[in-house]
Amino acid sequence: MRDAGFGALAGLVGGLVFGGVMAMIGFLPTVAAIVRADSPLVGFAVHLLFAAIIGSLFGVLAARQRELLFWGLTYGMSWWFLGPLTLLPILLGRPMVWDVAMAQALLPSLLGHLVYGAVTAAVLALLSRREWRFRPGLVVRASAAGLIAAAVLGPDWAGLDWAGLIVGVLVGASYALIFGDRDEGTGPALIRGTAFGFAWWVLAVVTIPPLLDGGGLDWALPAVRAATSSLPGYVLLGAGTALLTCWMGSLSRAVFSDDVRHTLDGRLAGGRVISTWHGVIAGLAGGVIFTGVMLAVGFLPVVASLVGSESEIVGLVLHLLISQFIGVTYAIFFRRRSFDPASGIGWGVSYGFLWWILGNLTVLPALLGAAPQWSDAALARSFPSLIGHLAYGAVLGLVYQRLEERVSPWHLTRSEANAARAAARHEQTLSTAPALWSLVTGMALLIPILLS
Amino acid sequence: MWLAETPMILLRKLSFGIIAGLPGGVIVAIVTKPPWLPWAAHLAILGAVLGLIIGDRRQSTGSAFSIGLLIGLLDWVAWTMTLAPALEGTMPTWTIAVAVSHFPELVGAALLGAIAGLVYHALFTWWPPKVAPQRAKPHVVIVGGGFGGMEATRELDRRIARGLDANVTLISDSNFLLFTPLLVGVASSTVEARHVSAPVRAGLDHASFLHGRVVSIDTQARDAYVSAGKEGTLRVPYDQLILAVGAVPHFFDLPGVGEHALAMKSVEDAARLRNHVLSSLERADLEPDPAEQARLLTYVVAGGGFAGTELVAELFDLVHDVLHFYPRLHGLRPRFVIVHSGERLLPELSPELGRYAQRKLDKRGIEFRLGTRVTAATARDITLDSGESIATRTLAWTAGNRPNPLVRQITQAPLVVDPTLRVPGLPGLWALGDCARIPRPAGGFHPPTAQHATREGKTAAKNIAAVLSGRRPVPFRFGGLGVLVSLGHRTAAGEIGGRRISGFLAWILWRSVYLSKLPSAEKRLRVLADWTLDLAFPRDIAHSTKDEHHA
Repeated sequence: MRDAGFGALAGLVGGLVFGGVMAMIGFLPTVAAIVRADSPLVGFAVHLLFAAIIGSLFGVLAARQRELLFWGLTYGMSWWFLGPLTLLPILLGRPMVWDVAMAQALLPSLLGHLVYGAVTAAVLALLSRREWRFRPGLVVRASAAGLIAAAVLGPDWAGLDWAGLIVGVLVGASYALIFGDRDEGTGPALIRGTAFGFAWWVLAVVTIPPLLDGGGLDWALPAVRAATSSLPGYVLLGAGTALLTCWMGSLSRAVFSDDVRHTLDGRLAGGRVISTWHGVIAGLAGGVIFTGVMLAVGFLPVVASLVGSESEIVGLVLHLLISQFIGVTYAIFFRRRSFDPASGIGWGVSYGFLWWILGNLTVLPALLGAAPQWSDAALARSFPSLIGHLAYGAVLGLVYQRLEERVSPWHLTRSEANAARAAARHEQTLSTAPALWSLVTGMALLIPILLS
Repeated sequence: MWLAETPMILLRKLSFGIIAGLPGGVIVAIVTKPPWLPWAAHLAILGAVLGLIIGDRRQSTGSAFSIGLLIGLLDWVAWTMTLAPALEGTMPTWTIAVAVSHFPELVGAALLGAIAGLVYHALFTWWPPKVAPQRAKPHVVIVGGGFGGMEATRELDRRIARGLDANVTLISDSNFLLFTPLLVGVASSTVEARHVSAPVRAGLDHASFLHGRVVSIDTQARDAYVSAGKEGTLRVPYDQLILAVGAVPHFFDLPGVGEHALAMKSVEDAARLRNHVLSSLERADLEPDPAEQARLLTYVVAGGGFAGTELVAELFDLVHDVLHFYPRLHGLRPRFVIVHSGERLLPELSPELGRYAQRKLDKRGIEFRLGTRVTAATARDITLDSGESIATRTLAWTAGNRPNPLVRQITQAPLVVDPTLRVPGLPGLWALGDCARIPRPAGGFHPPTAQHATREGKTAAKNIAAVLSGRRPVPFRFGGLGVLVSLGHRTAAGEIGGRRISGFLAWILWRSVYLSKLPSAEKRLRVLADWTLDLAFPRDIAHSTKDEHHA
């Protein structure tokens, strides 16, 4: 009951913010129609009631989770599917239509649900007195990481010049303040950063500029679609910031830690060399699956052009080599992070999405002498590749997890130290990881709404 | 583990998964009105996949919800965007236009997955799996941490990871696996001693290690008795025991040989021989008497098989590579003699390669005493059965081995096993490696080499796993991959797959093969570094322990 009560309270606060958004986009009369009224005030009251009920459910659902921001975002996204797309038409006595036109019309509602989820999660975290500590050193480190990541992306990565560097610093600082110093490893940090970059895109590109311009909140499809070209840049900025923050932290621990016991955890798993081989095999398996998409869309000659060839065979060989290379990076970054098939698929799919943006939209064009393909038209053209990357990631993550479990099965314990590994799997289910997997995948698959 | 689980557990996961998919599936079916038969089949497959992926692992409610949502979204990619068009005979294209046209299915998949995840979690929470009573696991004990014993343990270790339900304990009086083929490198100062030995514990994930010496085995009660230092004697019960204790040097009770010969079975032996040779050079450098100086610079190796031939060649290289450090020895000619009871060197190789090796060593000035044996040794000389006496202070012994004394405690006769490596008449006892005689299908016994021991270890482990699972053990079959012998300074000879090779290429192959066979990547890199530095720098002549003669 306590969880439901806190959740209801948090949901009320989230509902207040979302209600403000609804007032701005004129959606409250639609909500009021549920009780056969058309007053915005009635709509606001009904909305708050729903917000409290949905918040109480969130309180129960996320009661045992360690951190809540991404759970809130995933929950918000899920309620967009369930609420305005499904239940609202039923309550209004209208036919339930799940088509893209309806989804596009409800795009402001999607963003509103994300905001509702984030605010509800934040308030719930405050109410349940979750541990939070301000660490100035970490803020400086993450800010520096954001600055470097923004600088690497170039002067006009999001249509910004020097201001891009400031955004980088802000992304870094907020990353440190929200997530603290998590010793979670490179891979999970990358995925966290990817989702965080998306959240920053919603805030810094889609939300704040129209408000600052005095035009009010503009979450309608044309405005959001116009902002889509900066989404890859923000995702890469988030991922880069998280990556560098994590690496700087590891470097700092490696240099300044004077206790050898800090390295014990890393020594309890299978060796790095065998993990690398697992990455090669898993990458190859994923690459073979991805080849189906490559053949269907005739993309292999483009890959072959990396070495000045137009042959599909050369393209296939190169594609499989790249698949193995990415598999090895997966093995390095996600070693000991997937404890069961679900987490293997979750990390793999998320990593596949990141490589769609980094590889297909950014590095590949750059290697071919072109600018990054971040425009909405280019994103739309690359949608088959996105599907291929997600399938590649799912197979990569699943195969790698199965292989790693053969040498380091979490469920068999030989000593107390190894028992810690078994507990780690359970800890992961309580962490933000599962929310990240579905949020990133949902984010990827909702792209057609923006681009069609 | 998917492979290790019982059919009931699997059935439970599948049925829970299928049931969990029903509520969401019905809702989606009402909205999208798909053809019911393909939809029901799709729903059953999705539920089964959900059951397999989530399984019986403990989840939080949020995690189950999120994983269900993830699986639902991926189902849209796999089923709606890919398999469904493929089954209808059209090529999937995955374009954004197709994705837009299938958006209703995406919404349905998201809802279906999330609801299914929650329902599955609820089913598992309300009807948790019954915990099966723990039964005593069979205990497999491996005695001996050489190639055979270590490989058997590692194979069992791997099988535990795949679901073998057994406790495995390796008992050895050294806590490392010694890579004996490179022992001559330690003696000749080309490889650091620690680099040819790999810690046992580093190679085991699930098997236990007991550092001690097995002093006796009660094969009736199935108990091994282990001397473990201050702990006294420990009794270790077993269900299956692999005896892989190897062999020890055999001096045939020849007078003085046991006292004065330097064996080459352990890393201590190799380090002792290296120190002895370097010490002889130091003493010769001080020695005013030419006869005693010649005695100190005479090195005799007994045994002309692989070990003896490689050893004499490497000692030759060692002495000549460091001789420039000893100005008073310049101009002197150290003498190297190999004593072998056979008529030619290297009986393991073809006569042509044996002659090649002999010719190479002969060109360097190494002397041969073939068809003869050492009969006695003193601190000053050795005597051959031909009556010849050779003045020397160094006798390296590779001329004879016998099974470890522990074998005699079990049987006085040679320990002959059956083709599956089981010891006949002693249930639960297996033997392999140098301490056992393993019959070949074509007659005779398998040779006591590292490559054979390694494969015997693997076979024994597989057979024990088979027996524990109620299956029949299989006979050991291995014909050998080939043989390679180093002849010192950039030369080797050997036979690989029936093809003879010799010279520099054979030497490269010899180093490559042994480098690849070292037990870990770390050791490979260390030995590679040793060999690479050896190309640029002279050998190290520092004693690894205090020289007793000059203390």
